[in-house]
This record gives sequence, C-alpha cells and structure tokens, in this order.
Amino acid sequence: MFACLLLGSAAFFEVSTPAGIGFVQRNSPTRRKYLIETMTGGVALLDYNNDGLLDVFLVNGGALTDPMPQPANFHRGEPKYWNRLYRQNRDHTFTDVTEAAGLAHAGDGNYGMGVAAADYDNDGYTDLYVTNYGRNVLYHNNGNGTFTDVTERAGVAGGGWSASAGFFDYDKDGKLDLFVTRYLDWDFARSKVCARETYCLPGEFPAATNLLYRNRGDGTFEDVSTRAGLSKLKGHGLGVAFADYDDDSWPDVFVANDGMEQFLLHNNGDGTFSERGLEAGVALSDNGKPFAGMGVDFRDYDNDGRPDIVVTNLARQIYAVYHNDANGSFSYRSLQTGLGVLSAASSGWGMRLVDFNNDGWKDLFIAQSHVMDNVEAIDPSLHYLEPPMFALNQAGRFERADPGTTQPMAGRGAAFGDIDNDGWPDVIVSVLGGRPLLFRNRGGNAHWLTISLRGTRSNRDGFGARVRVNDQWQEVTSAGSYLSASDKRVHFGLGAAQTANVEIRWPSGTHQSLPNVRADQFLSVTEPEQR
Amino acid sequence: MVTAFIALGLAWQALSPEAIQHAQAGIAAQKQGDLKTAIVEFHKVTELAPSLPAAFMNLGAVYVQAHQYEQAVAPLEKALELKPDLIGAEQLLGYALLAVGNASAAIPHLSKAGDKGALGIAQVKTGQLVDAIANLNAALAQHPGDPNLLYYLGRASGLLSKEAMDTLEANYPDAARAHASLGENYAALRQVAEAEKEYREALRIDPEARGVHLALGEMYAKIPDWPRAEQEFRAETKLQPEDAESAYWLGTTLLEEGKLKEARTQLEHADRLRPNMPQTLDALGRAASLDGDSTAAEQFFKKLLSIESTGPLAVNAHFGLASIYRKEGKSTEAARELEAYKAARKP
Repeated sequence: MFACLLLGSAAFFEVSTPAGIGFVQRNSPTRRKYLIETMTGGVALLDYNNDGLLDVFLVNGGALTDPMPQPANFHRGEPKYWNRLYRQNRDHTFTDVTEAAGLAHAGDGNYGMGVAAADYDNDGYTDLYVTNYGRNVLYHNNGNGTFTDVTERAGVAGGGWSASAGFFDYDKDGKLDLFVTRYLDWDFARSKVCARETYCLPGEFPAATNLLYRNRGDGTFEDVSTRAGLSKLKGHGLGVAFADYDDDSWPDVFVANDGMEQFLLHNNGDGTFSERGLEAGVALSDNGKPFAGMGVDFRDYDNDGRPDIVVTNLARQIYAVYHNDANGSFSYRSLQTGLGVLSAASSGWGMRLVDFNNDGWKDLFIAQSHVMDNVEAIDPSLHYLEPPMFALNQAGRFERADPGTTQPMAGRGAAFGDIDNDGWPDVIVSVLGGRPLLFRNRGGNAHWLTISLRGTRSNRDGFGARVRVNDQWQEVTSAGSYLSASDKRVHFGLGAAQTANVEIRWPSGTHQSLPNVRADQFLSVTEPEQR
Repeated sequence: MVTAFIALGLAWQALSPEAIQHAQAGIAAQKQGDLKTAIVEFHKVTELAPSLPAAFMNLGAVYVQAHQYEQAVAPLEKALELKPDLIGAEQLLGYALLAVGNASAAIPHLSKAGDKGALGIAQVKTGQLVDAIANLNAALAQHPGDPNLLYYLGRASGLLSKEAMDTLEANYPDAARAHASLGENYAALRQVAEAEKEYREALRIDPEARGVHLALGEMYAKIPDWPRAEQEFRAETKLQPEDAESAYWLGTTLLEEGKLKEARTQLEHADRLRPNMPQTLDALGRAASLDGDSTAAEQFFKKLLSIESTGPLAVNAHFGLASIYRKEGKSTEAARELEAYKAARKP
C-alpha cells in the first residue's frame, strides 16, 4: 500500500511507507525508562543479491517488560521482534525474505541497535553486522539469498551495549576491518529513572570503550582494540564515520559521543590511533561546550576537497559543523553555514551529506526526534516527535527545504541510496514504534553520475577510495549516519555538466583517471591490477 | 546552629551536690549523643534548681538538638523569664518557634538575638518581604553562598515581585504592563503561545511600551527561535537605541544566526553603552573568532579574563583563546589555555 502522507507540488520528496514493508520498530517503551528503548533504530540499504536493486534491512528492538526479568529475555524469537530483510522487486515494491534468508531470530538476549553492511570477505556479496545490547551478530552472505551467523568463528560478538558500527580498511591490507562503538556500561540492575520521570543522561552511567577488529582474511577477526590504543579511551559512542582528514592516505575515525568530548581518532599508519579531538578542534562546540553527539557524517560539504564533519545532537545544542582547514585542524562552522538556526530547537539522529538535487553541492537530510518521549511535560517548548530536516546546500550555506512531510515522527536511523535507480538519491528512515518511511526523491533536470567501485588490490568494495568527479570529492563508505548503513555506490550531482572527469585514488595507492565520462549513468569501475 | 550548651559552670556553686551530679550526667549523655538521657538528667536539674535560668536553657537546648521543638519552648521561655538578657535562650527560642511554624512569635526573639539569617527566614514566612530581603542580604554578606539563605532570598525576591505584579494586574487589568507581566509569567513556564498572546496585547495597547519586545525576544531566544527573536530585539533597539541590554541581545542573536559582521557591530555598540560587561566581551570574542579576526578575539577574551578570572565565561574565554592559538600554530600557548580551560571547568 503506497500511502502518501503529504504531497505538495513543491515537495522534493514523495513520502510513503514502502510498499511491502510491514516492519514495525518495536522499541517497547516502559515506565522504567530503560535507556535502550529510545536509542534503537538501525536501517541498511544494500544490494544483498546483486540484482542491481537496493534492498532494505531493518533492526528491531525487542520485548521489554516492567520490570525486566533477569537474565533479560527480549523474546526475539517472536516474529514481531525479528530484524527484517526486504528484497526490492523490479516494480520497486518489497518482499519480506527474512526467514528464507536465515535472518529471522536475532537471539533472545539481544536487544537490537544498529547495522553495518559490507563485503568483508571480498567474495562479491554484501554481508551484515548487527549490533545489539547483548551480543553482536555477523551474518555472512552465502551468495544464494541466504546468510549464515558466523559470529563465533569470526570472533566479533563484542558485548555490552554496542551502537553504530562500520567497516573500513584501517591497515590498507585489502581486507575490511570492523569498528564498533559502544555507548554505556549499563544493565537493567543499574537502570534508573531520572528527574521528572524520564531517561537519564549518559553521564549517570559509566562510559564504555569502542572495539576495533582486524580482518585476518580467513573469515576471522582479531580484537586489536588494545593494541590500537582504543581500550584506554572511554566514551559514550553512538555514531561513527571514516575519512582520511589529513590526507596522509590512512583512514581516520570520528566517533560521535553523547554528552562529552567527541573523538577524532587519527590513524598513525602503524596499527595505532591517537585521539586528537581537542587539538584538531572537533571535540566541543566553539565555546568549549560538550554536546550529545549521535549521528555523524565525515564528508566534504564545501567542495574544497577535504572531508568535513557534521554531528547531530539534542535541541538547544545545534548540530555541529566542523570545517576541515587542511592542516589537521578544523573550524566550527555551525553558525556560518546556517545549520545553527535550522537546528536550534531540533534533535537529530541519522543523517548524511548527499547531493539530492544534483547541483554539485551536498545537501543535508536528518532524521529527528527528541530522546525523551515525555519532553513536552518537562519543557513545553520542545517536542518529542519532529519531522526530518532537509536542507539544501547553497554553495556552503544550508537553507531549509521541504522534506515532503510535516508529520512529526520519532526518527532514528537513516540510510541513503538511489532506491529506484533514477539518478536521484532517496532516503529511508526508521521510526520508533512505527513503520519506516521512504523519502523518494522526485528528481529534476540536472545531471548526475553514480559510481560503483570494485577493488582488486584494495578491498573489493573500494571503501576508503577517494573519488574526484569534476570539482567534487567523496570517500567511499557505507558507514556514518546513526546505527545505519547506506548504499555503497558513490553519487555525484553534476548540475549542467554532461560529462565528468573522474579520478580515483584507491586505498592501495593506485591512481585511476577516467576523462570525459558521460553523465547520467551508473558507472562500474574496477581497480587496475597494477599501478 | 545550636551552640549554647554552656553556662552550667557559671552557676555550679549555687547547685546542690545532687543537682551537680545530674548536670554532669546530662552533659556526658549529651556529648555521647544520648539526647534522651540528657533530657531526663537536665529535667531533674530544673526540678532541683527551679530558679536557675541556665538549667532551663540547657534543657531547651537539648530539646532543640533532639528536634523536639514544641517541648523546647516552655523551658526556654522560663529561662528568659528568670533572666531576660540570655541571648542564647532568645536565639534558641526563636529557632524553636520558627520550627513549629510560629514565625511571628519567633521574630522578636531572633531580632533580640541578632540572628539576621533566621530572622530573614521568619520574615519571609510572615510576608515581611522587604525586611526579609535586607536581613538575608546582611546574613549572606557574613556567610556567602549559604544555600539556605540564597534559597530564602530568591523566594523573598520572587514573592515581592509577584506581589507587585498582582497589585498591578488587579488594579490596572487593561494596562500594557499588566499584560506584559502575565506574559512573563507564561514565559517562565515556557507556555509560549499564552505568553505571546499577552505580550502582543501589551504591544497593541501601547506599541511603544519599553521592554516588551525585549521580553518577547528573550522568550524566543530560549526556545530558541532566532529569526523571531531578531525581529523583537530589532524592534526594541528602535524604541531604545541607547539601551545596552537590547543591543547585546540583538548582537548575540545575530551571532547565533551566523550574521557575524552585523553581530559584531551590535555587540560593539552594547560595549560602548555599558563597557566591559563580561557577557558582551564573551560574545564579542566569539563573534570575532568565528569571523576570522583572531587579533580582536584574543583582545576581547583577555579583557574578559582580566575582569572575571573564574566562572563559566572564563571557561569560554580560555577555550576561545586555545582555539585561536591552535589555528595560529602557537602550540605552547594553545596547550596552556587548554589546561586553563580544563582547570576552570572543574566543579
């Protein structure tokens, strides 16, 4: 059933609950205000069966009761609490293939959080990693429409409360490694309700460490968190994104932390990372205030060739924009870019910089909602439910645009990709307590180019490759946003240009040039076997 | 607060050996925290020495210490009847009466005892707000930061303000100021729509009412809704072009909107009207820094720190300086300011 919520002639997106997707995000809120119940909502866009169409994977929460029995049982065996995989059909409807794909039961001890998607074993099929409060699960894509839980063998179960995760090749050995953020050291026994009957701030609970797993290339991973220098860094990690911010060819990591300094983990190139948030100027707001970092993107918003950082947070904190100044240093630009005014009273989660109108400038789409479902009782001028924010990038300054709906919702995860392969990027947003919403881009007249990379010496997905198209740059990744994974194809708007000069710097160091590429096509590029 | 367990020694020569024995037992029990026994022993002393004021005062004091305020009143009154200049007994009786809810009766005793803090609290409870504020301020001068005194001072000020507003609203319900006052009440409760209605009515009645646009703007700034706040602050600065507060608010709003040049102009105007306000210097430093004018930003932050070396604005200034030095590549200075920032942030 294609149910339009609101369509205006000026609307940029057509908003609907996607046909064939019956998933309801069952976060199961309670009077106990268990923090996990307001934090879930992972969603992924991936082409799991290589038919050229993006499919949808949605992470479910689980059953919560008041009080919770110990040990916790989230009843994930019940179909209403399953994660769900939906295969896209040729007519752009979806079919639930969860059970057939072997993804039905997510484990009774696991309350679902997020998802990462990548081809970690370079076999040509996109795999899934699901984070949980509990034990994380790695699903290997068997290439025949099914997945196998390989967590134990792979050694990536983690534990505690994991949030966003992402694949990247930190040691540039051609095999994708895995970074997992962890939010809090929390359990039901220590849970509490805070002032005015609401969720506690993260500072009420001990911080947690993030995890880094190095891919050995034999189907197993090694936990290198300690060796990499991450075990000494405790935070409240929610979002993660990757980019080489200092152009030293090694991919760096940004972790969005809730209610404290943000982490910029500089890749030292020797298997270790150094936390440089404060010295790079991305740890705090411009006047030294910590904020509730949740979603993040690490991408060049002003087309100067250097990845910038955008972090979503809570109302009255304003979303943070850090401009990369080229010397390993960033400048806080939330006010100058206009995002301060746009986000002053809003709370944001999943997000990405994407050129939705193909004018050559990456716009912003942000899933929004306050963290507290009773925030109005505490402060009537704030709202729990909010429509998403859509802002068009006018040469580096963001201006509010119509997201296609004014309906408020509890938006959490957001995944980005060209679902209908029309050259105009779309969005899917997970909604707490409800069905996901598809924001289908209506398109326009401008030109575009979408590139699929196939690494040979580099990782097969080409993650970490720097792609230049005319005067724009992007690094290839499916990570970023909040708890979510996006289309791994890299999309460029070309404006009026009907051709593009494409340059690719692969993680292996190989440079590849493709001059005069025709616009308005999906271009597949394979990494040359030799430099 | 109970410090007057004394005086027995002064009158011991007048006591019988039996009374002395009970007095010593009472003191010992009191020292051990056994207040029940102390009360029994001091009670016996009052029976054996019924004309000794100190005996009654000590019994009253132990009752106060045991939070048995009602029982404390009679022996303390007896002590004062026997010896009217017993200041300690006046103070204890004042505490006891205040504790049992008889603030009016407590006032003369606390006044005689010269305890301005407790007197101020009693006056808040009896509605003598102007006197209460004076006494609480005097007590705070001797005990800066005392949370009880601060609480009652805040309460007295609020009640006094409400009293004045109630009178205004009752006597002049159609006056612009009455609607503005109602607007402020709604704004304090973050009931934006109701507050807007009252403020707009105030402006309809008197379009040139000073401070109404400012109050509306401040409410929008708290939401925050910067574009609407800007409109109101602009209207206020038109009405009061020489008002530093309006200029400051307009400047900070423009800063939040990223209109850095115009923000700096307004903030500099505010600084000229009321020089060296730390809040203005903080905003000026921030605006100049974001505008890329690190020289000016450094000057503003340094000036702020020369006026206010601790507190939240000092924290901002140290962080602002660290950012400036970091961007200029002055790593030693940046590290120094970052350390100062971290130290200043500690509670």
